[in-house]
Amino acid sequence: MNRLVTLLIRGWSWFSVLLFCSALASLLWFLLRHGVPTLGLELFFGDAPVGKAILGQVRVWDALWPACVGTLLLVLLAALMALPLGIAAGIYLACFAAPRFRQIMSLSVELLAGTPSIIMGLFGFALILFLRKTFFPAANTSLLLAAGCLALLILPYLIFTTRAALDSLPAGLKMIGPGLGLSHLETVFHILLPAAGRGIIGGVILALGRAAEDTAVIMLTGVIANAGLPHGLLGKFEALPFRIYFLAAEYQSQAQLDSAYGTALVLLCLTGLLYCSAFLLHKTLEWRWNRQ
Amino acid sequence: MEPTVTADKPFCLIADLHVAFHGRPVLKAIDLSLDSGGITVLLGPSGSGKTTLLRALNRLNEDFPGHLRSGRIQLRLAGELQEIHQPEISVTALRRQVGMVFQTPNVLPTSIQRNLLLPLKLVTDLDREEREARIEEVLREVHLWSEVKERLKESATILSGGQQQRLCLARTLALKPHYLLLDEPTASLDFKTSRAIEDLLLELQENYRIIAVSHSLRQARKIAGRIIVMKDGEIVHQLDREGIACPETLPQLLEELF
Ligand SMILES: Nc1ncnc2c1ncn2[C@@H]1O[C@H](COP(=O)(O)OP(=O)(O)O)[C@@H](O)[C@H]1O
Ligand SMILES: [Mg+2]
Repeated sequence: MNRLVTLLIRGWSWFSVLLFCSALASLLWFLLRHGVPTLGLELFFGDAPVGKAILGQVRVWDALWPACVGTLLLVLLAALMALPLGIAAGIYLACFAAPRFRQIMSLSVELLAGTPSIIMGLFGFALILFLRKTFFPAANTSLLLAAGCLALLILPYLIFTTRAALDSLPAGLKMIGPGLGLSHLETVFHILLPAAGRGIIGGVILALGRAAEDTAVIMLTGVIANAGLPHGLLGKFEALPFRIYFLAAEYQSQAQLDSAYGTALVLLCLTGLLYCSAFLLHKTLEWRWNRQ
Repeated sequence: MEPTVTADKPFCLIADLHVAFHGRPVLKAIDLSLDSGGITVLLGPSGSGKTTLLRALNRLNEDFPGHLRSGRIQLRLAGELQEIHQPEISVTALRRQVGMVFQTPNVLPTSIQRNLLLPLKLVTDLDREEREARIEEVLREVHLWSEVKERLKESATILSGGQQQRLCLARTLALKPHYLLLDEPTASLDFKTSRAIEDLLLELQENYRIIAVSHSLRQARKIAGRIIVMKDGEIVHQLDREGIACPETLPQLLEELF
């Protein structure tokens, strides 16, 4: 009986792993097969001259470059707003908050994490409507607004993972600081945070990925199909996920649909790049901590 | 100033100490006076409050939720008996003088050297050379120097259990405490390593006031100058050297308890 159960569990585990791997492989295969042939300068810059296009001296039509820049800026801006806030809030909840307050806050954070992204978009949109009717009649959806709403979207992930990473440190490690007569602040910043670094960076990676791929938020807060390179924080912009959505929904030729696959591939690479830089950042910090 | 153990004056006075967690009493009416005369060993069944009593001495219980205390504890700090809960005493300064080593070794997941350097950097104002000298000094004191001097930059987590325990001890000693609180220092070690640590403690008792929890009668016999037997949060017996030496008392006593 016992052996049968073990066998079943093992079988099921293997099956799950296999299922996951084959799903991933077929997804990648599909993307690569359709996307790779479209990769090339034309996908990025259309028929505009490359050098001038990169510098923004000529307008790029029907190509990826503006969307790449848009998404990159969007994610960076959102990260700039959300990372310091989210990580600090997570540290506060794990290490400083009173138990009662901590419970209430954790609940609200989970609630926020469960909010569908379209709601965040609506919130941004409503904010603009409100501003227009009151203080700033000229207010409009823009890169800044979209980044702010994205920041709000990823904030709960950051708070939650930071808190969880600190909470799950071994009890013995948490006692090192107090046992040696370090202050609570010293314990948190010199012992607990470095030890929780890996978990925190995991949260950052998740959050960046989420910010890069989300379409619902930006659709209501400033993305448009042919904005060109973003004109400052208050201008409209293009973004990769929106471009994929747009191409797939309104393509008029097979070539256009294929370029959507190419775009998806580029988005995947861009997210990978973000992950790598987060990882490198973590390694540098870890190295600095270990350096004597 | 070198920590030295002065004879015959009490260095620890506890009066009517009660400790409770979440309203559940853990220590009840503890009265205790310790003076010099070797290592004090706390014996008793698990859950009898030995760890809690140790943690009361460096006020570490206060870091746990639901903690409530009444009663007085006086320790000899800077030559004078002082009530450790009075507002003038800073908790962090107290804990540096009353060093504690925990039951399971808790090294930082970083290099051996950094394990010792980090607290030194944060707590003392020694310069680089003095710090390195201090590290060598304490590693020699716990007989770890010859084993790790070649690999100070390697991770502390790859050391064996006994080595990790000695590293934790060294980390505490590096801050020059006057008291050493040791919670079952050999609980996770094999017989031979335990012996080595016991010999080490017997050496250290010259320079530190040591209070240790033990789970073994043999060990208590070997290292103790005084044995305190606890049960259900109370001190039920105290034995001095003569009581420990007498072959019957201790086993009889423990038979009653366990
Ligand atoms: N931080 C704490 N919170 C709640 N209960 C505790 C805490 N520390 C100890 N206790 C309780 O106090 C009792 C004595 O624990 P302890 O001092 O660890 O015993 P010993 O070290 O003798 O095994 C146990 O019943 C334990 O559950
Ligand atoms: Mg214990």
